[in-house]
Amino acid sequence: MIYKVISKNEFRAFVDALVRANTSYGPRQVDTGRNGEPVYQFMPVSSASEIAFDYTVTTSSAKHLIMPFREELSKFRFRDGDWDQEVRYDAPPIVLFGLRPCDINAINILDEVMLNGPYPSPYYLARRKNTFIVGMDHLPLPDCFCRSMNRHTVSRGFNLFASDIGESYFLSINSSKAYNFLKEFETTEPTEEDDCKLIERRKLIKQSFKTNVEVTGLPMFLDLEFDSPIWEKWGNKCLNCGSCAMVCPTCYCYNVEERVATGLESSSRQRRLYSCNLIDFAEVSGGHNFRPKNGDRLKYRYYHHYRGFAINDNQQICVGCNRCGRTCLASINPKEVINDLRLEKESCMTCVSPSPQRS
Amino acid sequence: MHDLRFTIPAEELNREPFTRASPDFSKKSALMVTDRGYKCRITNIVPLSEHERLFQLRIVDPRERELFAFRPGQFLMLEVPGYGEAPISISSATSHREFIELCIRKAGHVTSALYEARPGAFVAVRGPFGTSFPMEAMQEHDVLLIAGGLGIAPLRAPLFWINDHRDHYRNVSFLYGAKEASQMLFAYQFEEWKTVSHIDLRTIVEKPDEKWTGRTGMITSLFEEITIDTKNTWAIVCGPPVMFKSVCTHLDKLGIPMNRMFVSLERRMHCGMGKCCRCMVGSTFTCLDGPVFDYWSVMNLKEAI
Amino acid sequence: MNHLGFDTEKLKIGSFDFTCCEGCQLQLANHESTLPEFLALLDIRNFREISSERLDDSDIALVEGSITRSDEVERLKAIRAQAKVLVAYGTCACFGGMNAQKNKFPKEECIRTVYGDKQIDTMPEAHKISDFVQVDYSIPGCPVSKEEVERIVVSIATRSPIALPKYPVCVECKQRLNTCLFDLGEVCLGPISRAGCDAVCPSGKTVCLGCRGPADDINYASFTELVRDKGLSTEEMREKLAFYNGFTEYLNHEG
Ligand SMILES: Cc1cc2nc3c(=O)[nH]c(=O)nc-3n(C[C@H](O)[C@H](O)[C@H](O)COP(=O)(O)OP(=O)(O)OC[C@H]3O[C@@H](n4cnc5c(N)ncnc54)[C@H](O)[C@@H]3O)c2cc1C
Ligand code: SF4
Ligand code: SF4
Ligand code: SF4
Ligand code: SF4
Ligand code: SF4
Ligand code: FES
Repeated sequence: MIYKVISKNEFRAFVDALVRANTSYGPRQVDTGRNGEPVYQFMPVSSASEIAFDYTVTTSSAKHLIMPFREELSKFRFRDGDWDQEVRYDAPPIVLFGLRPCDINAINILDEVMLNGPYPSPYYLARRKNTFIVGMDHLPLPDCFCRSMNRHTVSRGFNLFASDIGESYFLSINSSKAYNFLKEFETTEPTEEDDCKLIERRKLIKQSFKTNVEVTGLPMFLDLEFDSPIWEKWGNKCLNCGSCAMVCPTCYCYNVEERVATGLESSSRQRRLYSCNLIDFAEVSGGHNFRPKNGDRLKYRYYHHYRGFAINDNQQICVGCNRCGRTCLASINPKEVINDLRLEKESCMTCVSPSPQRS
Repeated sequence: MHDLRFTIPAEELNREPFTRASPDFSKKSALMVTDRGYKCRITNIVPLSEHERLFQLRIVDPRERELFAFRPGQFLMLEVPGYGEAPISISSATSHREFIELCIRKAGHVTSALYEARPGAFVAVRGPFGTSFPMEAMQEHDVLLIAGGLGIAPLRAPLFWINDHRDHYRNVSFLYGAKEASQMLFAYQFEEWKTVSHIDLRTIVEKPDEKWTGRTGMITSLFEEITIDTKNTWAIVCGPPVMFKSVCTHLDKLGIPMNRMFVSLERRMHCGMGKCCRCMVGSTFTCLDGPVFDYWSVMNLKEAI
Repeated sequence: MNHLGFDTEKLKIGSFDFTCCEGCQLQLANHESTLPEFLALLDIRNFREISSERLDDSDIALVEGSITRSDEVERLKAIRAQAKVLVAYGTCACFGGMNAQKNKFPKEECIRTVYGDKQIDTMPEAHKISDFVQVDYSIPGCPVSKEEVERIVVSIATRSPIALPKYPVCVECKQRLNTCLFDLGEVCLGPISRAGCDAVCPSGKTVCLGCRGPADDINYASFTELVRDKGLSTEEMREKLAFYNGFTEYLNHEG
């Protein structure tokens, strides 16, 4: 990692050149909400002026730019009673601008899931390798809890990361590509003062979190509380709409669908991002559903996020961005669900082993 | 104007499937598996019952055919182009390298399409995937094979394995139960298994018709007929969850250790590679850590039964 | 596509319309890029008068529109008797659709407003066709989604079972990165309506009115609660639910 400092204007010029030369995505305001608040999404950008540098948070994560909502896995071409299968996974290079530390951490988690383990995904690899990521820090929103998940800082997975230190940005350069690009722009070596400012900035960010979700020991709680009534309680609210998984930066499960072209000359096998909250996620032919109730499915989503699976070393995959909580129309959010689970557990502990009465 | 375009060289992309090294990215991966399968020709279709047929497939490419090897209990992702993919247990002998046999029930999209297919049609398979039965560990012991209904499909491979290495195993019993007599699959092979393979084969039917002369009742009642050396017996139990649960509970009562009973779990699957999450049982992948589990593990899996 | 050893046959389709706008039928001829291929799969024949209608037993009857007159019931039954496969095509046929708006008003008032003092034979309610005959497949939508129709026709031609998505519109809406209309202060039926339309309405910033009917196993109680929680009008919600007549079982249950 190489560190540089760049003035805000120069940085803007750099970003402008970068996004003009490449297919790029960055935060843009797409709407104004009911209470006048701006709504942002990662959208195609072709100049710095289109980018909302001071955006708060995007409704949806940047996940779909590396793992598209719909992606062709292969194509069959039919001819004379036979077929040929065509597999392509070339990915056009893209720039992702303005990702937050939690977003980059989320991509690192996806890397682990998709590239570790016995069967790394070449589809994912192609896209991931061809993605140039520029990160930016920000002050957390009142409901961000990435600090609780220890995902509020990031040290890998990006090409360039910009921390706001007042008049300029403190740049962490994590790839030779980024370093080369920056050669054309005016940067300075960080002075001691810049270092201080960076530390101050980090401290400020760390102190600004208003939401804390206690996740220590959560994997065990989840195992112990597998049959807890809180799942039914929250499940009864859940609409099975999958919105949470669509906007989540680390939800990655999918469905595979095959579509025959109308002319019947070919057929396309497509991966389509899915969600374990959807009713037929675990349904098999004949109609048997391994998770028939809303509560079973909701529980499973929490189980995946906060217990973690062997494929990524039993790491929790939630990064604490609270996109799911903000998007859920039924007001289901990790903070309250987990608190509920803990309360449940704690009250249970006290009834199993009552502490001696105090007089 | 600054030139800030970047790209990765085309030759690093679009690698052939099943290359042994991943393109860089400093990962130590063994296999890069794409969606491409081995093209197979359906060489024969044998009707077994009203809703079950045996499909015999032959991998078209001789090199791929040679590469293809599996262990008893593993499964394939069977692709019917234009229709989709379904996980299917391999039902043939591991020693039999020329053909793959799949015993398939007509259920939904993929399997129905297969039922429309004629011999000579082309399909594809990916795999093999998943864990297998510990055939080596069972050597020098008694083996109890228990199947209910279509459960015989994953059980044929271990059966053939035992047949291939009959000397290594002591008493082998095969208990097979079905709802109705007409749903008893592979009856035409029973005689051969009994006499040539020296397998103590016993059948039972839940709802007999007029023609059925054998035993009737639940599969567990067959235990009354045989003597089980519980200290030296391994069991493989395949069938619907209710069936393997009651059988394993029974075997547990008889005194067979739970980690010597093996079952094959079934879940929805879309990848076979631990990516789609559809097959999860608690925090365990049926496709990677299963489908073959010992019963102790199954008992300890969240949402397994 | 004959790699399985059978050839796809041209589907003989008889198209019949009842009370509707024929917009769905128009959809058949839409989607120009694939139109020639699509038509190559079909042998479409139009029938207007029951007397001239003769179907082979291989025919698929595409029935459009809702049933609002008693003579239509007879015609529908005659079609059912001859068709091998009967498809309810479009929201009107599947749920009653827009025509069912009149179910909310007394019959006389309705007739007077629409036809003045002319004598007219109309049933008190607009019905979905499954109120009278057995329906093999339903293709909901107002209008139907051409892509879905193509997919279903291809499925029939390739002897593949037909399935509609079981999940609600929100899934597709979120995949299109739309701003949720609830966040803009509107009542959208997306969370309880069947997907498959690629969320066209919310993508165009108009709320989903559930033209494709309810998704599988919807959480109606939670939906009404959320409308209340957001401080939106449940009256407006009920109006929307009634719009295409797809949610009657929930509305009636509640009332
Ligand atoms: C490890 C394993 C081994 C199996 N072995 C056999 C066998 O030897 N013979 C046999 O007849 N059946 C077997 N099955 C069940 C078989 O996979 C399903 O019957 C089949 O997937 C149905 O697919 P479909 O497209 O016809 O049904 P649809 O209902 O149309 O299913 C659509 C898709 O859902 C998934 N799916 C649906 N049901 C199941 C299911 N029960 N298990 C897994 N995925 C499912 C598949 O991806 C399928 O393509 C096995 C299942 C598993 C998990
Ligand atoms: S938790 Fe909320 S967003 Fe997720 S499926 Fe349930 S209702 Fe939808
Ligand atoms: S939590 Fe659910 S929706 Fe998210 S990746 Fe896991 S299985 Fe999919
Ligand atoms: S589960 Fe929710 S808070 Fe956690 S990463 Fe996903 S969207 Fe963010
Ligand atoms: S706009 Fe409607 S369909 Fe889209 S997410 Fe919101 S409720 Fe769902
Ligand atoms: S968004 Fe709703 S109303 Fe619009 S087409 Fe889809 S289902 Fe119909
Ligand atoms: S089948 Fe996809 S994860 Fe197991």
